Amino acid sequence: MIRVSRRILGGLVLLAPAAAVLPAIPPAWAQIDTNRASAFIQASGTELVGVINNPGIPADQRRQKVADILRRSVDIEGVARFVIGRFWRQASAQEQQEFLTLFEESLVRNLAGRFGEYQGVRFEMGRSQSRTDDDALVSTIVTRPGTAAFNLDWRVSDVNGAPRIVDLIAEGTSLRLTTRSEYSSVIQRGGGQVSSLITALKRQLGR
Amino acid sequence: MRIVKLASFLAPKLLPLAALALLAGCATPPPASDAEALAEFRATNDPLEPFNRAMYATHTVIDTVALRPVAQGYRAVLPQPVRTGVRNMLQNIRTPIVLVNDMLQGQPRRAGDTLGRFVLNTTIGLGGLFDVANDHFGVPYHNEDFGQTLASWGVGSGPYLFIPVLGPSNARDLTGFGVDVATQPLTWFGQGLAVDIIAGSVAGLTVVDLRESYLDTLDEVTRTSLDPYATIRSASRQSRAAAIQNNDAAARAALRPAGSR
Repeated sequence: MIRVSRRILGGLVLLAPAAAVLPAIPPAWAQIDTNRASAFIQASGTELVGVINNPGIPADQRRQKVADILRRSVDIEGVARFVIGRFWRQASAQEQQEFLTLFEESLVRNLAGRFGEYQGVRFEMGRSQSRTDDDALVSTIVTRPGTAAFNLDWRVSDVNGAPRIVDLIAEGTSLRLTTRSEYSSVIQRGGGQVSSLITALKRQLGR
Repeated sequence: MRIVKLASFLAPKLLPLAALALLAGCATPPPASDAEALAEFRATNDPLEPFNRAMYATHTVIDTVALRPVAQGYRAVLPQPVRTGVRNMLQNIRTPIVLVNDMLQGQPRRAGDTLGRFVLNTTIGLGGLFDVANDHFGVPYHNEDFGQTLASWGVGSGPYLFIPVLGPSNARDLTGFGVDVATQPLTWFGQGLAVDIIAGSVAGLTVVDLRESYLDTLDEVTRTSLDPYATIRSASRQSRAAAIQNNDAAARAALRPAGSR
């Protein structure tokens, strides 16, 4: 147990400079009980794995079903607000709306595309669960045939009374932190305009 | 031998190169009045961004024509068990580096794991081909390097650097890489054609094995990222932080109650 808490403390120390950069976490994210978060990930994960490993479903339908599960279980709007960070305030109301729509499509497509390829995937619940003020971290170990097992942690928060996924952390790399860094770079290289991010997202989605 | 020597020769030379780049072109920090932008600029830690982006572009060319196709061919031609055997051998050969750094970090338990793994895998594991220590004794591999040791001693990372072929790094970790090459007995062990061939093969296979392990991840980044350079920079910083904390499979296995593995 001592090792666990030391690791979490170490994590907090490392995250502290990043936290200074962060905008306030969307107010909807509230503390959640680790058991409830684990049960939620167990259920969502089992559902996902069931769809991914079902050979009776054609590939495009499988992606569609994975996308549906993600729409239900991920707090897409909260994640969108997190990844655009300080540029949210800078965006016009129309840009904000456009960004939310594009981000949802991009996130769901990218994740569904990735998970859709994971045939034969299995996952087991990890042992190290931890809780912060805003969320709980649920660890899982993902195994696929022919590749090394990897650690996938799910950050789960309480959004308006229901558990929702707010981040995916693969081998210590957070999807939302990486995406925020990516978007910030796109905006800065686009002369600080949020419109440059919207243009890039549209191009990627083939619009 | 030549390749390993070349690497140890190059690593210290790359630092003055980075200093030159500093003169050649720096990213302009945001004005002090924009506190959020300034904080982000510091967290990103990439004052040499124009130089690094040029290095990344160079790397992308090398990767497209050589590294990625070779890694794809390696995956296509050799079945998984053979590739696992190669990886096991490379990890076994790396033992001196991991062991020295486990000790320098004051981690006797992890050093013991590393030494025990080497003995088991070199003997029962037929010269490192089979990872019996992990498969039958529940002692998984963990990696260490001198960059992590420096970090554990409180040395800051220095500016972010992207080095063609080596990939994302920083001043501290690049220095660490040079020290690790010097730590590897293979660098200094004897001379002659056979030794050169062995050392060259180890260096070449290490690059191919590493690139193969990143095939899916990097393809994914290229396919989905709006700015792969920024994505790799952020992801590498985070995974490095996790590695420095020893937040790896070995540490997680140690956290599991006995009998669950």
